[in-house]
Amino acid sequence: MATLRTDCEGFHRRDFLTVGSAGALGLTLPGFLAAEAKAKAANRDVAGGKSKAKSVILVWLAGGPATIDMWDNKPEAPEGIRGEFKNINTNVTGIQLSETLPKMAAVTDKVTVVRSLYHTIPSHGPATVFMTTGNKPTAALQYPAMGSLTAKLLKTELGVPPYVTFTDLRNGSAGLAGYLGTGFNPFVIEGGGGRGANAGFSVRGLTLKGTFTLEDLEKRDTLLRKFDGGFAGLDKSNDLVGGLDTFHQQALDILRSDRTRKALDITSEKSAVREMYGVTPFGQGALAARRLIESGVRFATVSLGGWDTHNGTFARHKNNLMPPLDQVLSTLIKDLDDRGMLDSTIVMCAGEFGRTPKINKNTGRDHWARSMACVLAGGGFKRGYAHGTTDASGMAPATEPCTPDDIASSIFHNLGIDPLMEMQTPTGRPIQLFREGKVIEKILA
Amino acid sequence: MSRHLSYALAFCLFAPAVASAQVALPTGGTLKQADFERHIMGLVSKVGCNSGSCHGSFQGKGGFRLSLFGYEPSMDYTALSRDNLGRRINLVNPEESLVLSKATGQVAHDGGMRFGKDTWVYNVFREWIRSGAKWTPGSGKIEKLEVIPGEFALLTDNKPLQLRVNAKFADGSTEDITPFCDFKISDDSIASLTPLGLLTPLQPGDAGLTVLYRGSVQALRVLVPSPGRPGDYPKVPEVNFIDTEVFAKLKRMNVIPSDVAPDDMFLRRAYIDLIGQLPTAEEVRAFLADKSPKKREKLIDKLLEHPLHAALWATKLSDVTGNNTQALENPVQTQPRRSQMWQDWLRKRIAENSPYDQLVRDIVTATSRDGKSPEEWVEFVKKIDEQSVKNFTTDYPEKKTLDLFWRRQQQVPIEIWGEKVAVAFMGIRLECAQCHKHPTDRWTQEEYWAFANLFSSVTFTNNQYSDPSVKKIVDAENTARKGENAKNNQILLVREMFVSDRGRGKPNPATGTVPTPKALGGPEIVAGRGEDARVKLAEWITAPDNAFFARSFVNRVWAHYFGIGLINPVDDFSMANPPTNARLLEALANEFVKSGFDIRKLEKNILMSRTYQLDYATNTTNKFDTNNFSHAYVRPLMAEQVVDVLNSALGVTESFSTQDGGAPAGTKVIEVGTSRISNQSLAYALRIFGRPPRTTACDCERAAEPALPQVLFRMTDTSILAKFTDKNGRVAEWAKSKLTDEELVEELFLSTLSRLPNATEKAEAVKHLAETNGRQTAITDLVWALVNTREFILNH
Repeated sequence: MATLRTDCEGFHRRDFLTVGSAGALGLTLPGFLAAEAKAKAANRDVAGGKSKAKSVILVWLAGGPATIDMWDNKPEAPEGIRGEFKNINTNVTGIQLSETLPKMAAVTDKVTVVRSLYHTIPSHGPATVFMTTGNKPTAALQYPAMGSLTAKLLKTELGVPPYVTFTDLRNGSAGLAGYLGTGFNPFVIEGGGGRGANAGFSVRGLTLKGTFTLEDLEKRDTLLRKFDGGFAGLDKSNDLVGGLDTFHQQALDILRSDRTRKALDITSEKSAVREMYGVTPFGQGALAARRLIESGVRFATVSLGGWDTHNGTFARHKNNLMPPLDQVLSTLIKDLDDRGMLDSTIVMCAGEFGRTPKINKNTGRDHWARSMACVLAGGGFKRGYAHGTTDASGMAPATEPCTPDDIASSIFHNLGIDPLMEMQTPTGRPIQLFREGKVIEKILA
Repeated sequence: MSRHLSYALAFCLFAPAVASAQVALPTGGTLKQADFERHIMGLVSKVGCNSGSCHGSFQGKGGFRLSLFGYEPSMDYTALSRDNLGRRINLVNPEESLVLSKATGQVAHDGGMRFGKDTWVYNVFREWIRSGAKWTPGSGKIEKLEVIPGEFALLTDNKPLQLRVNAKFADGSTEDITPFCDFKISDDSIASLTPLGLLTPLQPGDAGLTVLYRGSVQALRVLVPSPGRPGDYPKVPEVNFIDTEVFAKLKRMNVIPSDVAPDDMFLRRAYIDLIGQLPTAEEVRAFLADKSPKKREKLIDKLLEHPLHAALWATKLSDVTGNNTQALENPVQTQPRRSQMWQDWLRKRIAENSPYDQLVRDIVTATSRDGKSPEEWVEFVKKIDEQSVKNFTTDYPEKKTLDLFWRRQQQVPIEIWGEKVAVAFMGIRLECAQCHKHPTDRWTQEEYWAFANLFSSVTFTNNQYSDPSVKKIVDAENTARKGENAKNNQILLVREMFVSDRGRGKPNPATGTVPTPKALGGPEIVAGRGEDARVKLAEWITAPDNAFFARSFVNRVWAHYFGIGLINPVDDFSMANPPTNARLLEALANEFVKSGFDIRKLEKNILMSRTYQLDYATNTTNKFDTNNFSHAYVRPLMAEQVVDVLNSALGVTESFSTQDGGAPAGTKVIEVGTSRISNQSLAYALRIFGRPPRTTACDCERAAEPALPQVLFRMTDTSILAKFTDKNGRVAEWAKSKLTDEELVEELFLSTLSRLPNATEKAEAVKHLAETNGRQTAITDLVWALVNTREFILNH
């Protein structure tokens, strides 16, 4: 049903939903309209030449990591601020990291460490939204996560979900499609990734499970077709009915394709590789993410929780948090590079905010958004580079301050999408991808 | 050299090269003298120079900034004639003006070529420059815009129609400004429309058409009647005024409505629309067997009084009022319970059929205390808290007003309250006017901030109370609770939502001054000391003569029962979005006001109409109709309905986590208030079927469009497959039953599609039962196939 929509820009001739014509594809997995293809071609020009990156892996550190004890460790800071960790040299002259990151120190020549990131929201929910959407949350509009934007704007091959997540961010309140509509929400990966029975992963809705086989599906679908004549007279003229028909066909194509299932079958990976990643859900998830990217997924989110260290920061970093992060992140980056995939894959490692430079009475650090660090690797970002600095106490950026909007803009620039490209909300309001963002030229390779 | 001299020189030098300074207009006639406001500003908008993504952006583009949509001629005149050292306009050699060489693409222009050198647009610009590029302030002030042919453009016999737009200006002159307007049509499959306003019919139907001329908006409807001789039009029986209006319009369009839906189709539609459930097989059989001519009315009455009917509307009104669990006050574990209180407050009022105006007044003017003494109020809060920890239901619905609407964890800026109230109760989208005049509606930035300032006194912050005596009692209570906290951290701190005298309005950023609080297009509302501006506001909103209040609600109810509003989207009442059937909207609103805002009566009128009860199957005259209600429209279900209907068909119940507001197992999803669901499978299903998070002040959040994951969900999701194998579910029950194959197949169809199988379907299903090993397997296959049909998942 086409309706007139009005907005700040005036009018839009047609709604987003004109299923039955080309519109149906706008909501599909390989969602890609010819019109968008053209827009993107133009965007590539704007972004300056060909895109560097094709896909993104977001390593999400839920809870807000104390980056002041990690990527921007300050052993020289005053008492009460400096943490318990020493700095170590990395394989890049002039860049030091905390001693809790020995393996990352050996791959620092492959990454950009952004030390001058900041924002102003020290609250988990909205800060997570800010960091994962590149837009400061507002009451008026739900911004889509970067993953949903890639699902909408990048081409994906049939049978492969464009955007997957191994975990619901903030209980499913972040990481979603917002104004793009439910069709661009992430596909959720299920499964433990541990040893033995829990080793397997599957994508919710994309993988047949248990005793329900492809053969059963085909048999039942044959039956279904015999009972689905109810709207026969409407099919051609009705957008909704025709649209559902199209999706049904696509669903079958996807279920018949084994691309995703094969990608998720990490048991086919050499056991040495699996061990390298660590046999934990986080490690095996990162491995599965790499395999999914290889098979054509555009955006994958893996997550490690527990970073909300209001007490015992140092013990928890040392014993629980840093060893798996150091191992998994360094392995992922190295593995991607070894396979020649790092140049086309962006790895972003960040949480929602940093933590207070001042250590609290429980030897913890509290929420602090005014300074934080994140890591960007591959996909057109510089190798072996530290961007910006914080002041001596780590309270705020001292040089090259940048915001989540800037990070998102830079990522999309590298994906060949104009960060200022205009999208439309369901009410027809034109909205730029990252209105406040500026591409950080200095971190581009 | 003075401007005049250069003009004179230019004229002498170049005049001989041009035959005349008049410009022939493409819609006929000539333009004798191009005027800055009337013509140049019109074209600047029409060719898109001043749109938000081009020079209308607040930062400008390429160092050239125009006012957004051209609301400030003085700024634009300066930008064109003076800025950039005056290079944009070249009086000596008009064709060398930068503005022309850019717009025609002769000089690199990020915006590309806007018009060619040999066009009338170019000529208008050139002649304006040639005649001195003058500006007469106020010359283009519009009194009235008149579009010919008026309210409707009826396109008959495949003949094109040229629209004419006359503007009456403040100086009393009238001018045909057709080519300077912007024309848009909502559905270009009905008629094509050129940028100059020429309409050509394409297929029978009804589309909205909007004419924009420098901030003035006029809308009309384009009607393309079905072919055929009007003499053949049958007499269609009418049940009530709804049918009169709907069928009158259909007749005008030569569209013949479908027949009345058969009983089974009507029954299923009514169950889904009214209570969000499916009828059982027995209910379908009983209804089909009932010979009473009044059986449809009896069913409608029964379902209107059904407890789930109130639950369904509570869910819809929870969307409209923004019952967003995440945004409610902390502690986090109490948020779902508060959402439930919100839902139940609404549900009680729908169940009791409270007048709609009263319901809205009790939201708009809500406070925590409702005039209770501090002691009584704290006692009430304690009781509610205790109940909510133990039970799913509380006495909160007994409270007079819905203070939860105003109780949010994060401070809500007053302008957001303005936006929420405007869209929820009047269907007006104000947000554009926050930063500039609404481009396609009447609202100015001044009006936006004047409306926002009505809410400047709403207070809900820690440690602030309406009265020192309240503070004393609350402090005592909180101190006592801190002691108990160790034992029971479920108990809340007592916080009060009230109206304070200390609220301060916000300035209009454009003027820097604080506008006096004012209703939208209504009177100024100034509250004295101790007064609540919202009381007068609520009176104004709910007054019988409010142009939006009744209309926006009847439109929402209409949209629920037909899948599309008379105004669509339902929350977009604006000058550019005319109703498909203005007389019907008017009649519904009038009846609603006359009835004393009786919601149930409104619903019954709609449900009893022949229009609601039409078949979805179409005939040759109405198969293209998507907005005139000549047949029932196939439409998606709400996410909550999807889950409830699937459960209904499969004979299973939903279970909830204790974090979901304490809903007991078997609670229907439309009864659940919380927008944050902890049951992962349920949360997943609701998410992919588009249950809104209720974060923004907009109905548009509820995604109605189909998406691939929804199809995959029904086919393969483990939580659905588990419902097939549930040992207390219907599949298991059927597998054990002694029914013959024929009886069983009928049962399966009645339980899922609410109809009997036709002969072929029955034969195929019976064959499958006979040929498949294992009765449970065979039944599972059949039920799986049935719930995966389009007929099952769409209401019709």
